[in-house]
Amino acid sequence: MGENLKRVMVIGGGIAGIQASLDLAERGIVVELIEKNACIGGRMAQLDKTFPTNDCSICILAPKLAECFRHPNITLHTLSEIKNLSGQPGNFNVKIFKKARYVKEDECINCGVCIEKCPMRVDDEFDMKLRKRRAIYIDYVQGVPSIMTIDRENCLFFTKDACRICEKVCEREAIDFDQKDEEFELNVGSIIVATGYDIFEPTSLGSLGYGRYLNVVTALEFERLICASGPLGGHLKRPSDKNEPKKLAFINCVGSRDIKNNPYCSSCCCMYTTKEAMIAYEHDNEIETSIFYIDLRAAGKGFREYIQRGENDYAITYIKGKVAKILEDDQKNPLIFYEDINTSQVKQLKYDLVVLATPMVPKKDAGELAKILGIKIDDYNFFKANSYHPQKSSKEGIFLCGACREPMDIPTSVIDASGAAAKAAEIVMRG
Amino acid sequence: MSDDDIRIGVFVCHCGTNIGGVLDISELTEYSKTLPNVVYSADNLYTCSEVGLSEIRENIKEHDLNRVIVASCSPRTHEPLFRSTCQEAGLNPYLFEMVNIRDQDSWVHMKEPEKGTEKAKDLIRMGVYKAALLESLEKMQVGVIPSAIVIGGGIAGMNAALNLANQNFKVSLIEKDSELGGLLRHLNKVYPTNEDASIILETRNLVENHKKIDLYKSAVIEKIEGYVGNFKVIILQNKKTLEIEAGAIIVATGAKALSPEGYYNYNGKTIISQLELEGILKENKINTNNITMIQCVGCRNEERKYCSNICCMTALKNAILIKEQNPDANVNIIFRDIQTQGVTYEEYYRRAREMGILFIKYLPEKPPIIKKDRIEVYNEFMNQVIGIPYDLVVLSMPLIANEDSEQLAKMLKVPLEENNFFLEAHVKLRPVDFATDGIFVCGSAHWPADISESISQSNAAASRASTIISKEMLEVEGSTAEVNTDLCVGCEACIKICPYSAISKDEETDTVVVNKVVCKGCGVCGASCPHNAITIHHFTSDQIIAEIVTYGGGE
Amino acid sequence: MVFEPKILGFLCNWCSYAGADLAGVSRIQYPTNVRVIRVMCSGRVDPVFIAEAFMNGIDGVLVLGCHLGDCHYINGNYEAELKMKMLSKTLSMINFSDRVRLDWVSAAEGARFAQIVSDFTEHIRKLGPSPVKNKKVKKEIIDNLNAVKFALCDTRLRALVARQRELTTDGNVYGEIIPTEEFEEILDNAIENEIIRHKILEKIKNKGKSVPDIAKEIEIEPHKVLRHIVTLRARGLVDVDQINEEIPTFISIKEV
Ligand SMILES: Cc1cc2nc3c(=O)[nH]c(=O)nc-3n(C[C@H](O)[C@H](O)[C@H](O)COP(=O)(O)OP(=O)(O)OC[C@H]3O[C@@H](n4cnc5c(N)ncnc54)[C@H](O)[C@@H]3O)c2cc1C
Ligand code: SF4
Ligand code: SF4
Ligand code: SF4
Ligand code: SF4
Ligand code: FES
Repeated sequence: MGENLKRVMVIGGGIAGIQASLDLAERGIVVELIEKNACIGGRMAQLDKTFPTNDCSICILAPKLAECFRHPNITLHTLSEIKNLSGQPGNFNVKIFKKARYVKEDECINCGVCIEKCPMRVDDEFDMKLRKRRAIYIDYVQGVPSIMTIDRENCLFFTKDACRICEKVCEREAIDFDQKDEEFELNVGSIIVATGYDIFEPTSLGSLGYGRYLNVVTALEFERLICASGPLGGHLKRPSDKNEPKKLAFINCVGSRDIKNNPYCSSCCCMYTTKEAMIAYEHDNEIETSIFYIDLRAAGKGFREYIQRGENDYAITYIKGKVAKILEDDQKNPLIFYEDINTSQVKQLKYDLVVLATPMVPKKDAGELAKILGIKIDDYNFFKANSYHPQKSSKEGIFLCGACREPMDIPTSVIDASGAAAKAAEIVMRG
Repeated sequence: MSDDDIRIGVFVCHCGTNIGGVLDISELTEYSKTLPNVVYSADNLYTCSEVGLSEIRENIKEHDLNRVIVASCSPRTHEPLFRSTCQEAGLNPYLFEMVNIRDQDSWVHMKEPEKGTEKAKDLIRMGVYKAALLESLEKMQVGVIPSAIVIGGGIAGMNAALNLANQNFKVSLIEKDSELGGLLRHLNKVYPTNEDASIILETRNLVENHKKIDLYKSAVIEKIEGYVGNFKVIILQNKKTLEIEAGAIIVATGAKALSPEGYYNYNGKTIISQLELEGILKENKINTNNITMIQCVGCRNEERKYCSNICCMTALKNAILIKEQNPDANVNIIFRDIQTQGVTYEEYYRRAREMGILFIKYLPEKPPIIKKDRIEVYNEFMNQVIGIPYDLVVLSMPLIANEDSEQLAKMLKVPLEENNFFLEAHVKLRPVDFATDGIFVCGSAHWPADISESISQSNAAASRASTIISKEMLEVEGSTAEVNTDLCVGCEACIKICPYSAISKDEETDTVVVNKVVCKGCGVCGASCPHNAITIHHFTSDQIIAEIVTYGGGE
Repeated sequence: MVFEPKILGFLCNWCSYAGADLAGVSRIQYPTNVRVIRVMCSGRVDPVFIAEAFMNGIDGVLVLGCHLGDCHYINGNYEAELKMKMLSKTLSMINFSDRVRLDWVSAAEGARFAQIVSDFTEHIRKLGPSPVKNKKVKKEIIDNLNAVKFALCDTRLRALVARQRELTTDGNVYGEIIPTEEFEEILDNAIENEIIRHKILEKIKNKGKSVPDIAKEIEIEPHKVLRHIVTLRARGLVDVDQINEEIPTFISIKEV
């Protein structure tokens, strides 16, 4: 007791958690990085390119993933979650639950032979269920740690006591069906929460037809559709007939700035719909895009100029107006009905593909995690931050960064993460 | 070292069947033996397994190998591992070379095993020719001064200093004014809690009383020298010249509000700026009923394309404060887009609307016109010009870069963007770093930022700085550029080309020198030097040309 | 037998090499013709390397970097672009510019990498083997490539390219910015001059010749030849050999 541990726990391995870990590790502080998924990388790994520079997301992320994996001061705990917390700032005791991977981490060399042979096909969450993966899998090819995982819920051995094919084909004998879930404890001086966000499911907004009309997709689905390493290999086709779409519409604020759903603003949709429209145009200069918006929020560095470029160089038409509903014609083309601001009349436009910018929402288990950690949440389940010291949670010694405290883009998440690292360092390095 | 001294060992990996299932490994191993300087060659089932690694270690010793080649997967993933294996066996890690015959061969030529094997032979041969020319390189160590200098004592600078001091680092805070606090001193209340700015300013006491912080007020920066880990800043204070040393520098010089002079008939009485309104509100002297605010004055136009980020929230705040004091007041905001990203700010906006503050959108091509008794503005909704009576018009002016930022940037050798805000190394991944190592930026010097953003960034900058000043020594990669002073004529072409300002002129010899601590080894200078005076270690022209020649020559 | 082109690829470590690895991880199959040399940045590729490759019988060279704006070293690929432009101007004078290509591949573009390799391989296959391999024309081609290499090594020309960005964006010491078109014109002239100078040197390597004779041999007007001779003398590469009936002959005095 009373001892100050030079050790920090980071919960969540998205861009925010990674940045916080790297800063701390470089500063000489030992980091325990806890990630629920099998790989670190978070949402950023799912994005194709990222505003405002439109550089390829994985290109700039992958070196950070590798650095995180290799850094002697960082211990990566994947498939892990927090179960309990006790102690006080300077000396917390955290109980971790780690799910079995059923693949030996030191043996697997990510050759992928097992994937080829695994007969079980399941929806690929990483690709927004736009394609299938197997029961033994890696989230994405550049994923870190670059090893396989068996998904117990779907593996035929666990569900039907059959198969075990991967075990036979793996030359490294890396498969280990006897692995057990583990529980262990870690002592840390301070904790950084960086658990990120989920995406609002627009199925509940019946009038926009998501879920019913194949050619209405969410923005995150669109990221995968247009990504070179996504299910279509980067050749944009619309889901209904695999034709190349020529007229695209993006609708901002779907389920956000909306009292009935999420009253808050999701911060980066105005920017990412512009980005997605730009990428679509780069793929095919004949594509015409429109973005429906309420206010164009682009206050970050160089953002306003970015929107202007969208308008001037990428032929994006920005339409101010609230979309009332979407119907479909008999060729499965979405029809957008919207209120024209100038005339207050309801107008109709036909598109080949419609993309819905749905907001970031808190992680489903955010409330639970808040309870375990003893920190407050706001009205929507985002972790509550101090108004002027945004990395401070309601509890001393626990800090927040990234989209888990409020929707934010990557630049802000990275700043937030470094900031949280500094605050955590203050706790563990104080005299 | 003469040719005879070179003893190369080649290890060819099967990677199970990943390589072995396609390429003919035994042929590759035998082929390797025929190549010049190769004294040992073997295959491994899995070179990266402990068995494979110990074979490398043992054979280095047994065969006295002084170059090691592994032909296997990608150096991007496995080079660090093999390098450290070589090092464990006493071999300089830079004497290792990797040949990619999996990711770029067996996996992409699965149906052409023979051609794939031929390709692998070429690649191994190229590796062997390069390896013969590899040199041992040492990682250099340089000492680090374990303290930081923060330039600018506004909320960002103060908080950055405080954070580092709380982490037990010594900090020197340089402020050109006679007082700390910056822009915040002129504010009334602050959003989103609407508490008094003075409460936030309490940070000042903490900074002034902190044992680890040296304060230099009314100080002017004269000169900045040095590089990461070892900076020297020369300041002028009370006519005295002082020298401060530190391992890292944080720039937190803020920004200033654009003068309203010349915009919308500004007169300082009935037509004032938002900053002036803060002063009036601070003294509780508002007694008018019809107040209209105009947003985006002097920005988001041709001259200043950017959005200044903080003016919408500022207008909302003051509108709310007025409305709270006098619920009968008519408060209007004429705007273009309301910038209230996120949860709290959007809530604030909603609150303003619910309080009855009126929002009227205008188009940039039809800006409002201030007449004697009313403001005329074209409204899209109604498709007509509406007139709004006023007692007071408040202009929301953007933050603009300080005049002296150019001078400071020159001294620091860091770039500014087109609006003269400081330009970071990478918008997304290094938002508070400069490309030049050891220098960081936060707050409005980087881009108009509000208090919470400034504090957040100042913590970030402190964190980044701490990653440097927490180290006793910085370790520098061996694969950097080096100038051959016999060949260099001092033309300085390379100085301008290096993206990291790693090269500087040595006035005495009239040649240039590369600062190895700063150089990142990109090699651009080497490919550009008119006199071929720059060697890019580990990627030397000789090594590359040897690879080319043997590929071309071997039929 | 079908012609299998020998292709050399320079790939930058951060994007294009990663893209090539991704093609592997995704098992995308492409022609076996390319051999890769990894460099940290496309900006490391000295045009001389490529001349060297051609002299050694390589049929085609690919230089791949990160997309513009994505370079790990901020602007190395812009420098690569400038260098490749000047290289291609130089090579076009000897009909070789078709055999180099500069392109961008990101770390996510495994398929694009495979596509570029396939396309380029086909393209070179159509062009046919490098004439360097043809015994009959070999001497002349090697001479031409030597001239190119001479130009690419020329300090003035290199200085010009090294300064291009500075001169066309920041301006010279007087702050005068040279418009890009004007700069390209200067560059074109410089390249042409260097190649001619090399040809002259080749002709007077072992035997002194008069200006009119040289002019006839390389099919260039005598007054231009004279100007080049003057330049070459100033550089210390040429001297007067003899004076016969008041007509001087010149000879090369240094191995280049
Ligand atoms: C369609 C779309 C496009 C976008 N485009 C851009 C763009 O172009 N540019 C840009 O700047 N931003 C963009 N963004 C925003 C960007 O995705 C976010 O800013 C960023 O990913 C936030 O990072 P994070 O680390 O906070 O969260 P995440 O990426 O969500 O990472 C959180 C991590 O924590 C893990 N985790 C969660 N809960 C737990 C738990 N209980 N225990 C342990 N681990 C846990 C998760 O598995 C995950 O790995 C876009 C967003 C969307 C939806
Ligand atoms: S589990 Fe085995 S077969 Fe599967 S990728 Fe790993 S090593 Fe290969
Ligand atoms: S070194 Fe590379 S190629 Fe060899 S077994 Fe390991 S992963 Fe496979
Ligand atoms: S470019 Fe070459 S010659 Fe010129 S200063 Fe640099 S090193 Fe010296
Ligand atoms: S190698 Fe790159 S970073 Fe190093 S001095 Fe040369 S240009 Fe600068
Ligand atoms: S690092 Fe890829 S081009 Fe510079």
